Amino acid sequence: MDFAERFVEADGFKIRYLDAGEGPVLVCLHGAGGLRVSRGHELLAASRRVIAFEAPGFGSSPVNDRSQSLAELATTMLGAISGLGIDRFSLWGTSFGGKLALWLAVQDPERLEALVLAAPAAILVNPGPLPPPEEMPSFLFAHPERQAGAAPFPPEVEAKQRILAGRLIGSPRDPELEDAMRTLEVPTLVLFGTEDRLTPPELGRLYRELLPQCHFVIVYDAAHAIYADRPEAFAAIVSDFLERRAEFVMRRESGLLYP
Amino acid sequence: MTDSNLSRGAGRETRNSPRGQLVDTRGVKAAVFSIVPYGGPHTGRGWPLPIDGYSADAAQASMERALAQFEAADQLGFDWVTVAEHHYSAASLTPNPMVMAAAVAQRVKRAKIALLGSNIPIQNPVRVAEEFAMLDTLSGGRLIAGMLRGTSNEYATYGVNPAESRERFMEALELIVRAWTEPQPFGWLGRYYEYRTISIWPRPVQAPHPPIFMSISSPEAAEFAAARRINGGLAVTTLDRARESVRVYREVAATHGWEPAPDQLLYRIAVYVAESDGEAREGMAQMAAAHGHSGGLGLSRANPAADEAASRAGYYGRDTTRQRSRLHAGGDIDQRIETAQLMLGSPETVLGQVDRLRRELGVGIVELIFAAPGPDQARRSLELFGTEVLPRMRELG
Repeated sequence: MDFAERFVEADGFKIRYLDAGEGPVLVCLHGAGGLRVSRGHELLAASRRVIAFEAPGFGSSPVNDRSQSLAELATTMLGAISGLGIDRFSLWGTSFGGKLALWLAVQDPERLEALVLAAPAAILVNPGPLPPPEEMPSFLFAHPERQAGAAPFPPEVEAKQRILAGRLIGSPRDPELEDAMRTLEVPTLVLFGTEDRLTPPELGRLYRELLPQCHFVIVYDAAHAIYADRPEAFAAIVSDFLERRAEFVMRRESGLLYP
Repeated sequence: MTDSNLSRGAGRETRNSPRGQLVDTRGVKAAVFSIVPYGGPHTGRGWPLPIDGYSADAAQASMERALAQFEAADQLGFDWVTVAEHHYSAASLTPNPMVMAAAVAQRVKRAKIALLGSNIPIQNPVRVAEEFAMLDTLSGGRLIAGMLRGTSNEYATYGVNPAESRERFMEALELIVRAWTEPQPFGWLGRYYEYRTISIWPRPVQAPHPPIFMSISSPEAAEFAAARRINGGLAVTTLDRARESVRVYREVAATHGWEPAPDQLLYRIAVYVAESDGEAREGMAQMAAAHGHSGGLGLSRANPAADEAASRAGYYGRDTTRQRSRLHAGGDIDQRIETAQLMLGSPETVLGQVDRLRRELGVGIVELIFAAPGPDQARRSLELFGTEVLPRMRELG
């Protein structure tokens, strides 16, 4: 699946996005490590249009010193989505992008069909310092050796992204966001990997407690980058959830061995 | 599978029970049913139910209360005690009824021990056969092996496609009977199950196997049961709906050359017996004020999305509208009595209500959910039923 590189203007930013597939729209928001299209993205694009945005200031875009908070960045991203002529959409955010996705959701819940939070960093309990870049693969992936294709960003991009994410991520517990989550009536799938040391799966229960329509799923043998560690499993459950939402608890796979 | 294959279990049981009693075609038997509800605090809602506010002590006390009730029922002369399988809910603390039945077998010395059921389509059927055989052995041949499909929500429990529930049920039931009865190790090449070799130990005490009961509420189930002489159970239903289920069951049985005996037909119903009609009614009004009164178990209703998905997948079968409406019956006290969702009153009145089930449906086993406004009334209701209703039920008909 080839993703086309395109750009859209919003709030004076020229925002890069990668676009593939046809059908209902899934908007993807990357983590603090920047935008990388994974096998998980590709598999999802088989059944829908996947639009993976690069938030202003990430990747090769100019330094972003204008966005003052994740809430403000969320407004910009909603503008970018509108700029593509998209009204209703589903939203998947990972880690930093999970918190950003929640800000989008609480600002404009009516436009959201469903929300997927993969290892979201919206709620952190006693977070440690971010590991140095050279150690990140062992935190992102349960099996770094299987991630041969993922080339690291140049050090200056890494550094720029870290500064921006660190400036915008906000406090580990954000009362304003958490209050808004309590009344967010969007069907939400929250995924955490069993091997995740950045956002351990024990955080999942907090989302389940706060969000009225939250389904919490623990992904076995995945670290922080669930979509890269378990792409087939990730794409299958996300796809099923986006299509059926709360009804996805009922399996549709046949158990028939022989007709 | 031949007609006689499945019927022999029940047939032997009625001809020659472990107590050596002869068959009496008269009379109505009584079972005490408990899904072993959790009696402690919790604050969660929905299904699956979150564990918020859970008390382990309360759960243990709830189990002990159920065991004590079963023990008392045994001493009062009730014919069966019954447990069932439900998951992820405070409504029931027996997700594995086999485990509960094993505990019951240590306390209940005389009555039969029924499981209605095991939800066989969501289980490993060979494991079910093994556990049933263990229970029949532990209890000295007192097992009633109920096999059900379970409520729609149970298909989310272990991730079984509800569209395949009925086919899995039919295959699993046949496999379980084979596992009980095949004298030599055998393989099973099914549609949903495949085992290269099976030889279970222990084997059931009752020969050729324990009596099997299944729900006959849906027309598909009534036809399946009647064609194989499997005993029929009616639960979470109303008199009109049950009448239709029994009509199908009897008609299909007739085409297969047999007639269901009263002992082969069970009706599950809530009951509250007090000294007088007035006292019973007052107690029931208290319960209704405290809990509201809705029909059914509420597990399917507690997750409408799951129930809707199951329904759309075909879980309820060709009679979907009626089958789903059973879950929403309810009504006020008089309506619930009238529609046979509830027996209420003095022993005399309740005896009349039992007799009505016998006359209208030909039911020979009434399975009772004892509801009461408090623990003292619950004990008294069981005692009144056991001492003043049960002996006279033997004379009905």
